[in-house]
Amino acid sequence: MLTEAVETGCDFRALVRQHQATVFSIALHFLRDRATAEEVAQEVFFSLHRNLHQIETPAHAAAWLRKVAVQRSIDEGRRRSRRPQVALADVAEPAACIRPGDPLLSELLRKLVATLPEAPRMVMVLRYQEDLEPAEIAAALEMPVATVKSHLQRSLALLREKLARCGVGESGWTG
Amino acid sequence: MDWLEDELRRALAREEPPVGFAKRVIARSARGPSGARRWLAAAAMVVVAVGAAGAWRQHQGYQTKQELMLALRLASAPMHRVQLEVKDISQ
Repeated sequence: MLTEAVETGCDFRALVRQHQATVFSIALHFLRDRATAEEVAQEVFFSLHRNLHQIETPAHAAAWLRKVAVQRSIDEGRRRSRRPQVALADVAEPAACIRPGDPLLSELLRKLVATLPEAPRMVMVLRYQEDLEPAEIAAALEMPVATVKSHLQRSLALLREKLARCGVGESGWTG
Repeated sequence: MDWLEDELRRALAREEPPVGFAKRVIARSARGPSGARRWLAAAAMVVVAVGAAGAWRQHQGYQTKQELMLALRLASAPMHRVQLEVKDISQ
């Protein structure tokens, strides 16, 4: 395994250190639970360890980890879906005024993204956390590019609408 | 790019996992399969061993039965002859 790692440049320890934030954050932003996100991230890396012989290049490792993190997070989300979830209507409107760059706005956005259905939520995480292009998201989620674009547009419109109702938006910031 | 996309990038920025995460993952991976997996492998080996032993016993039983049947067939021929002779004498 060590020889393979030297040949491909895929050293397990280096891969864990390099990609731990990506894998953990995909699970965290999708599931909104730190403990579960840590468990999911650990499972993803154990899976990488078992399949390291299939990894050909560091770029392949990055794509593989992202894809497995997405799948495991979705699976975990489905397991947890029997428990009560936060609905869009349940997200409280901010009591204080919110300005661009405000941590309160970030928290509100994270809550709103968490209310999106499974597929558009993961599309949003990959687009804005990982900065992936629609084609890359489509490959990771195994869905058509047009569907990815549609999820992005609808989710943005939904968030804009909800934020406007909270008095947060380009045309009129609260306060 | 609009303000909402900027805010989303800020809100969904990558976060570092808890301290010691990488160390824990590397240490557990180096230990090999987890306890549960080890137990599962051991249980599978026991099932295979018990199955093989049962099959071997069944095979041995079949062989013994075949030998016994052959012995009975061999023994029955002279017995039949004697039986016929006894029958002739009595008539």
